[in-house]
Amino acid sequence: MGRKRPKENIYHKEKAHLEHTQEFLSSAQEASPEELMKELKATCKNFEELLDQTVLITRISDRLQRKLDKTNDKLQQLNDQLNDKNIELQNTIDDLIKAKAGRKATSIVFIFALILFVFSEALIDPYIDSNTKNIYLSLAIKGLIAMLIKPFEMLVEEGLLKSARKKTLKERKALINKEDHLEIEEK
Amino acid sequence: MEHLQIKGTKLSPLVDFNADTGKMELSGRSIPENSYEFYNPLLEWISAYAQNPHETTELKVYLEYFNTSSSKYILEVLKRLKEILKNNGTVKVLWCYDEDDEEMMETGEDYEDVTGLDFDYQEIEE
Repeated sequence: MGRKRPKENIYHKEKAHLEHTQEFLSSAQEASPEELMKELKATCKNFEELLDQTVLITRISDRLQRKLDKTNDKLQQLNDQLNDKNIELQNTIDDLIKAKAGRKATSIVFIFALILFVFSEALIDPYIDSNTKNIYLSLAIKGLIAMLIKPFEMLVEEGLLKSARKKTLKERKALINKEDHLEIEEK
Repeated sequence: MEHLQIKGTKLSPLVDFNADTGKMELSGRSIPENSYEFYNPLLEWISAYAQNPHETTELKVYLEYFNTSSSKYILEVLKRLKEILKNNGTVKVLWCYDEDDEEMMETGEDYEDVTGLDFDYQEIEE
């Protein structure tokens, strides 16, 4: 069970005045007119002080409430802006990853095309020349290899993108776990 | 009469009341755990001072923030200072506030309105 905070009694003076007046009233019939007048004046003065306090506190409280509302609205606006920026940032990151993957894929395909070219010139052409002497067959094979390069590049790019996205997801999960761990430690 | 000096903390304001010069200062933050415990000595000091005040009493108030119970006691401080006027003394209040804190300035105006004391206002640049 939690410990209860002792209540601060900042109105003990006012309570004392009230108790005094209540006590006076219980025997007011025996009081003289002068005593009654004196008590009435004291009660009136106490009432005036309480009224001043109430007026002041109400005004201050209302003002602070308005300030709080304005601050809340501002915070909400900033939060919305932050969310938009986050989405923009994420899109930019995705575009960068895609561009990087695209460049890598192009490099890989270029090297692959180079290897195929050398293979074709060193092995396939001499074989065709020695067996069929059909230039069109040689050209057809080279044409087929050239046409296969683009789909191959797309496959390589897709594969590299998947790998990059998996890596980013893994890094984000690790970061979230780290933050959760720190929060638990703080508590 | 003793010079009342209380060091300011995260929760309570700096207090510097000098009976010899009539200069008084209340500055900082006022969110004490127990407002009665903090402000009652100040009120007692002012009541004693009011019996034999300096020709001119100047209270400088520069509070960044104060809670509701403090606002009650600040009113009480000002009302007790007002008693000095009955002894033909002069009381001036210098209400200071930060340049972007319009609410604090308006709060000063409320105190002026309720107490009837003579207030001057000073905007403090950060």
